[in-house]
Amino acid sequence: MSVNVKSREEILEYLRETLVELFELKPEQVVPEAKLYEDLDIDSIDAVDLILKLKDLTGRKIQPQTFKHVRTVGDVVDALEALMAENPAA
Amino acid sequence: MTTVGRIINHAWRVFATGFVFVLFGVGALFISLTVFPVLRLSTRDPDVARRRIQNGMQYTFRTYIEIMRLLGIMTYEVHGVERLREQGRLIVANHPTLIDVVLLVSLIPEVDCIVKRGLWRNPFLRWPVIWASYIPNSEGEELIEGCSGTLKKGHSLLVFPEGTRTVPGRPMHMQRGAAHIALAADAELLPVTVTCDPPTLFKGNPWYRVPARRFHMKVVVGDPVSATTFREEGELPARAARRLTQWMLAYYAGTESGRPSRAAHPEKAAEAPVPMASAMS
Repeated sequence: MSVNVKSREEILEYLRETLVELFELKPEQVVPEAKLYEDLDIDSIDAVDLILKLKDLTGRKIQPQTFKHVRTVGDVVDALEALMAENPAA
Repeated sequence: MTTVGRIINHAWRVFATGFVFVLFGVGALFISLTVFPVLRLSTRDPDVARRRIQNGMQYTFRTYIEIMRLLGIMTYEVHGVERLREQGRLIVANHPTLIDVVLLVSLIPEVDCIVKRGLWRNPFLRWPVIWASYIPNSEGEELIEGCSGTLKKGHSLLVFPEGTRTVPGRPMHMQRGAAHIALAADAELLPVTVTCDPPTLFKGNPWYRVPARRFHMKVVVGDPVSATTFREEGELPARAARRLTQWMLAYYAGTESGRPSRAAHPEKAAEAPVPMASAMS
């Protein structure tokens, strides 16, 4: 995937594909309001796999603390958007 | 039993249960300061010491269980105990009572356990858990590495996949850690079903609220299942761990009524509930 600034919709779509592939979720479950732990059953071990995978989108290593306060799918999109705005050309 | 007899029996079991709780605490401290240091010093080889201390744990817990039986608090029966003694298995059990671990360890000469990491700060109890090479309940990856490491060395490990005692009347909920451990170590999973009748010492039930009659614990050891059968080629463990956890939930849902393991009887798989069918497909 080419790395440049993406819209929130594109980020959400990428996240949706990733979550479906990694954790066998249904695409319609992955909505911005969905809580990662309570609704999508993503635990701390899954989070490690997810962060590794999201590296492909941002094009650089993601520090786990970036996602420390992340609770919902929307929060992940926010964090990714902020990360890529910080470093668009990486 | 007459009414008076029942009242006396009830009062006796409240007293005896309290006595056993105090004995557990005092006994653990006493043994940690006497028997375990002697066992540790009985050899230079830490691995031999580990085995001797784990044997010591078995005898200690066996003594506790026999004391409870002789005091008239409980009875118990075990089916398939020989399978618990085969090494290198991930032994998983459901967790109805506070004393499941005591009963299970009393049946197994050598088994690693996951123990509250707070014990590593306890001046007395930290040494036995270190010498027995028990595993602290750390978080995520670290715990899985510690646990799969000991399985790869050929040791057995006892895990309660629910992570805490079962809440009666609620559907069983499991963490996926046990599945991740089994997959990381390519281990065989040995499912064990523990039941307690009448229910007692369950989550939220104080020790002094003893059941109407002495309780009976039953341990049924199932057939081993290889974790690798849940894993597809080139797949991330996250998906396989979900399937294996689903399988365990279905296993416990199906064996609660005392039915044998379906995994051992493929011909019965057709009548299995949906989660099982999807887990096996």
